[in-house]
Amino acid sequence: MPNSDLFGRKHTAYEMLWKYMDLSDYIIAAARYGGPLAFMRDSSRLIVLGRGVPAISKSEIRIYSSVGEGLLVFTWEHCKIIRFGWTHDERLAVLNEEGVYRIYDLQGDYEQFSLGNDAGEMGIIDARIHEHGLVALTGGLTLLEVKGWEGGKPLALANPGISEPPTAWTAIPPDQTISRHVEVLLSSEATIISVDTLESTDQRISRGPFTHLTASPNGKMLALLTFSGVLWVVSTDFQQSRLEFDTNSQAVEGAVEGGVRQVEWCGNDAILVTWDGLAVLVGPLGDCLRYFYPGSVHAVSEIDGVRIVSTGTCDFLEKVPAPIFSIFKPGSTSPGAVLYDACDLYERRSPKSDEHIRSIRPELASAVDECIDAASREWDPYWQRRLLNAAKFGRSFLDLYNPVDFVAMGQALKVLNAVRFYTVGIPITYIQYTHQSPSHLISRLTARALHLLALRVSTHLGLKPDAVLKHWACAKIARSKVPTASSGASASESGDNEICKLIVEKFNSLGRGDVSYADIAKRAWDVGRAGLATQLLDHESRAADQVPLLLTMKEDKLALTKAVDSGDTDLIYHVLLHLHKRLPLGNFFRLIEEGGPRLSLASRLLQVYAREQNRDMLRDFYYSDDRRLESAILALDEATGMTDGGAKVTSVKAAQKFLSEDKEHAFEAKMMDESVRLLTFQQQLEKDAPTLGPFVGLSINDTIKNCIVNGMSRKADKIKSDWKVPDKRFWYLKLQALTDMADFEALDVFAKSKRSPIGYEPFVRLLLEKGHQREAISYVARCDANRRIDLYVECDDWRSAGKECKERNNKARLEELRRTCPNTLIVRELDQIAASMA
Amino acid sequence: MPASTITTTTHDDRADMLDTSLLKELARRSLIDVLNSVNGPKTLVLDPSIAGPLGLVAEVSLLKDHGVDKMFWLESGPLTASTVNIVYLCRPLIKYVKIVADQIKRHIQSPTSQRHTYTLFLVPRVSTLATRILEEEGVLGELTVAAYNLQFIPLEEDVISMEYEGAFKEIWVDGDETAIYDSAQALLTLQRVYGMFPRMVGQGDKAARLIRLLKKVPSQTHTPQLSQTSSDKIDALIVLDRQTDLLTPLLTQLTYEGLVDEMLGIKNTNVEVPASLLAPPTNPDPGATASSSPSAGASATGLSKEVKEKKKKHPLTAGTDPLLRELRDLNFAHVGRKLSKIARRLEEDYKSRLKAKTVAQLKVFVGKLGGLQGEHQSLKLHTGLSELLVPLTRTDIFNSSLEIQQNLLSSYDIPAQLSAIEDLIAQGAPQNTVMRLICLASLTSGGIKPKVLENLKREVLQSYGYDRLPLLLNLGSSPCSLFTPSNSPALKFPYTQVRKQLRLVVEESDPVAAAEVDAGRAEDRDLSYTYSGYAPLSCRLVQCVAQKGGVLALPVGKSGVGNGDAGAGAGAEDGRVRAHPIMGWKGFEDVVGLLPGETVDEVGDGDGEPSPIRGSLSLGGTHATTTTVVFFLGGCTFSEIAGMRWMSRQTKGRRYLIATTGMMNGNGMMDGFRGT
Repeated sequence: MPNSDLFGRKHTAYEMLWKYMDLSDYIIAAARYGGPLAFMRDSSRLIVLGRGVPAISKSEIRIYSSVGEGLLVFTWEHCKIIRFGWTHDERLAVLNEEGVYRIYDLQGDYEQFSLGNDAGEMGIIDARIHEHGLVALTGGLTLLEVKGWEGGKPLALANPGISEPPTAWTAIPPDQTISRHVEVLLSSEATIISVDTLESTDQRISRGPFTHLTASPNGKMLALLTFSGVLWVVSTDFQQSRLEFDTNSQAVEGAVEGGVRQVEWCGNDAILVTWDGLAVLVGPLGDCLRYFYPGSVHAVSEIDGVRIVSTGTCDFLEKVPAPIFSIFKPGSTSPGAVLYDACDLYERRSPKSDEHIRSIRPELASAVDECIDAASREWDPYWQRRLLNAAKFGRSFLDLYNPVDFVAMGQALKVLNAVRFYTVGIPITYIQYTHQSPSHLISRLTARALHLLALRVSTHLGLKPDAVLKHWACAKIARSKVPTASSGASASESGDNEICKLIVEKFNSLGRGDVSYADIAKRAWDVGRAGLATQLLDHESRAADQVPLLLTMKEDKLALTKAVDSGDTDLIYHVLLHLHKRLPLGNFFRLIEEGGPRLSLASRLLQVYAREQNRDMLRDFYYSDDRRLESAILALDEATGMTDGGAKVTSVKAAQKFLSEDKEHAFEAKMMDESVRLLTFQQQLEKDAPTLGPFVGLSINDTIKNCIVNGMSRKADKIKSDWKVPDKRFWYLKLQALTDMADFEALDVFAKSKRSPIGYEPFVRLLLEKGHQREAISYVARCDANRRIDLYVECDDWRSAGKECKERNNKARLEELRRTCPNTLIVRELDQIAASMA
Repeated sequence: MPASTITTTTHDDRADMLDTSLLKELARRSLIDVLNSVNGPKTLVLDPSIAGPLGLVAEVSLLKDHGVDKMFWLESGPLTASTVNIVYLCRPLIKYVKIVADQIKRHIQSPTSQRHTYTLFLVPRVSTLATRILEEEGVLGELTVAAYNLQFIPLEEDVISMEYEGAFKEIWVDGDETAIYDSAQALLTLQRVYGMFPRMVGQGDKAARLIRLLKKVPSQTHTPQLSQTSSDKIDALIVLDRQTDLLTPLLTQLTYEGLVDEMLGIKNTNVEVPASLLAPPTNPDPGATASSSPSAGASATGLSKEVKEKKKKHPLTAGTDPLLRELRDLNFAHVGRKLSKIARRLEEDYKSRLKAKTVAQLKVFVGKLGGLQGEHQSLKLHTGLSELLVPLTRTDIFNSSLEIQQNLLSSYDIPAQLSAIEDLIAQGAPQNTVMRLICLASLTSGGIKPKVLENLKREVLQSYGYDRLPLLLNLGSSPCSLFTPSNSPALKFPYTQVRKQLRLVVEESDPVAAAEVDAGRAEDRDLSYTYSGYAPLSCRLVQCVAQKGGVLALPVGKSGVGNGDAGAGAGAEDGRVRAHPIMGWKGFEDVVGLLPGETVDEVGDGDGEPSPIRGSLSLGGTHATTTTVVFFLGGCTFSEIAGMRWMSRQTKGRRYLIATTGMMNGNGMMDGFRGT
């Protein structure tokens, strides 16, 4: 090894199962975390036929596991594939030049989405696919981003403003950028342009153009390779330059021809540069290690290393992990190393073991931890076991030690060894495993249809087996024989029963009844087994999952009932709107009406919706159900919003008609009759006196007041008699109107016209309130005798109040007045009155 | 009992409360997530009904920090925004969604306008209805639709609210149960935070529906983090739907905060007051502001001046207002006296500066000065507010409506009350006042004679306009049937029985009570202080579950008789009774059965039968305090909150957390019936 700290460890995970393949003939996309590899013919290369190797035909895409076992082959018959890559859940996304992309799972089922018409017209010339989305470069040299794999709407990024396709580019996924939005780096001419959703920034670099441009797995660093072969490592914000390294010398020393094929990160701090037949690992300080291969290789960057797939092997190359290094470094005296030695000596029955343990007594706990940690980094079960044994040995000398880590590590290693076994072929490291979470690993296993293993792993780790069971059931249904039409209905039914029973039993025994049946039922429906779907759906407890499928199965009534029972109004709307679209209006109404009180919630919701959005439908709905009252209210509601008098009358008349058809609402009908009369009367008023402002729509009270204020008291009297306005109310109204006008003469005439039905106190009060104190006093004398004193006080007329006391001979009250009055002047006057009383 | 002990105990009680600020943090954090999901500067368009609640969760600076450039109301008409990103935040109501669609369409059609990226956040969740309307309007492809899950917002440390004003109307007038579903979701969040409710008690059909949803949903969600263990902090959830107690909101609230709400309106804890009341105190002599009740005439003119003055919003929360805690739940009759007492105390405190002789003493005084000024400011505000209220409570209409209410509650001479209502109509009383009285009359007397009712309706239609007919029809036909003719076959509210059995009306005739009223301690005697003689039915129902002694017995201070098993021996040292464990409706099944709607009593999963000694008595002996969550489905009034707080003070070992869909009062309720 060269004179530096770079220690590499190359572990040959597998000897490939495939027969001879020249990797240089293919375009390869590999999934991270030891995932599968997708192969496609590189149409720009000639390949030699007839060497006994079945070459992949031009339109084929093949998927191999890391051990070289074929997982899937499918043909692609659309236009040219631009790019393919893996999603986080190990599905293969394939994008063609028309902007259409498909996402294949490992069973060959796919979903298809499109980047939209614009993209289709411009054409897609390149794309970068990351785990949670893709960025496409269009023919117009603009960028489109798709977030997630649910067919989300493509979002245009800022225009990079380049005139030629970039020589190299990359997209940094949103979860690794500071802004949490995707960032694209394009090498254009001598510089790099970074683009996000908002803006495109020229980084003003002058050493380009670059042939390779790769971001580290954590998105913090960037590796660039110039045309002259200089590898330059810089932080993604271009603030810190970390390393410059001339690769040409390596190529010369390694005696390889041709250019650099790949620049890939090995973990976050080393870089692998590959040529045909040579891979060079460049460390953070510019030190390097060389590895030779026969033929070309394909390197896959991982978060803690790099996977190198060659014709014959699948290797995992990493910097030697720190715990391993500290234990196994020759001459190491770290606690872990001493503990490991002690254990080794103990097994060889050497008394020195005890001496070793004593020497690290204070750090024993950390030594145990180190051994456990080291075990996690080992590929070979032999070394794993040895290290764990050392940990166990050390632990026995500790009084208090929490064994959780130890146990968990044992479990994890068992799982890892199982999935690394060549029949499964997932060369995943412990770090990747914890980074991705165990449940993700389980879902990867299920995606490969390894249900039994997945189930065992999830039970071993104490995880819920739902997902596995669900996937299993779907596969079961898909694979079970569809009964042929000739074998008759009964046969198909018994077949359905059998499968349903099988699934339900399995779920109950393993899934603790927690598994959702809706997805499975949907699967059954998709493969054309309606009977089975219905049966399965009966077991589903969540309405939100049940209802959509019921709708597709045209079980309208059931869907609506289930939705109403769930209480989720949104779900009910979903059903209602769906049915409204699909069914003829009559049938739709009947469905709701026949539901009776059980579906009343649906009926009410439909009315709420229709009132805002579709009044004609609501009118029809009420009409078809003979709901006269509601029809009337609807008509009135419309009348309120109208400004045109004539239209208003028509609407109110319509309401009146609806009401009159119903005996129970005779009173309301009569009222509406009055309303129509009033509206016509008001229209007439407006016609007669167009200057006096609008009358239509006013209440009787306001009409009367308006008439009086505008000097049409005759009209007011007419309204009073025609609409039988009670005397009391009329008096109040006239009082208010006249006071508002401050027409005190008219008020006086009115007050004297006859005995007031409301008394005269309201006169006093209202006048006071409006600030006409003097006029108010004049009415106090007409009020009830025993109220007069108080009223005078309220009018601030203390003398009259005093006089009133005298008349009523109420000395006590007078005394009280004297006490509460505001100033001495009044006190004196009151004293005089008091004196005169005596 | 010396005053100091009272304050210390209440302080401890506060410490026992559930920490509701967690909920605020939750809402705040998800708001930040929502804002951050759109990159770069953005224009925020808010629906007015969400702005208030949002203000309780986050301040404007927080929005600015997360890229909000400008804010607009969601109003019909064109929208001009300078930023590329436009973010809409609204409830999924059809009218709002239509405005959004309209604005987007305008942008697309006008060739000159800038290209925008639209994001629509719906509160609390994405609705099919909204996406459907966007689809019908042809703009669904233009925008991204997502959810902002705003649920309970703490208004005070013991009140959390969804601040959804429309809940009552939607549930009981429109028949749209979205609010029930959303409430269930919000309560589930509560369970996620504090643990499962060990027991759920409820009254009313919709309450029953809510509880059923709560029971059902956990089995439906597959979220593993949902803790299935019963909460050790909460001993029960009591759900009351508003239909069970329509009576209380119809009455005029008489507590300070309640009256402010009735007269001036409190919206999302904000009240609009004349700006002058909020100016910092300029006069260091507090004596000048302490005049409690000026003569009616003078202040009436003062009022008209102040109306013209600029109004300003002021948050009415105990967090920022040191005096509010003492004032808000008092009967308004006692507020004046309390204010002058506070004023005197403040004066004393200010005077203490004169006594300060040494530098050290002066330093102590200066240290207190900030607090004093805060109190001074707050005192000025409340004195001003009371001055605004006093003339309003002296009007004829107000007083006769109060009198009618009291008479109707004690079922005294109903025909006379009905004609008094007619007189009010003649006098031109506000429509809502009149409608509330008619509804009250109908509820308390089991329906009004058809002829009389028709006459009243005619008067209403003529006075307020014939377009009020839908209102009258709604009142008569909705499930609440507040407007029933006495010959109608519909189920009637058994007011008289309920009144007797639940002691809804408490006579204040006895001299001891009068004496205590004078001493300002009336609120210590019974719940009924909140409405000057009427104990809110809703609070009584809560008592039936959680403070059984309070319903049956004479007021607590007087004797411990009838406090049942719980009261025995415990309450001796400070006059407060220890809370008994929750045992459902036990003892009150009969009277609760009389009320309309279903009665629910669900024991949570886990221990099967409730062990009667779980909760406060078994855990931690005498010092453990549990919280009972009371959820008002359809809204609650400030007076009811006052009642609940009164109950909190009465018992040791139990606090009440009031949860509601929103704050309401009778006027809002009537407005709900009006609109279709």
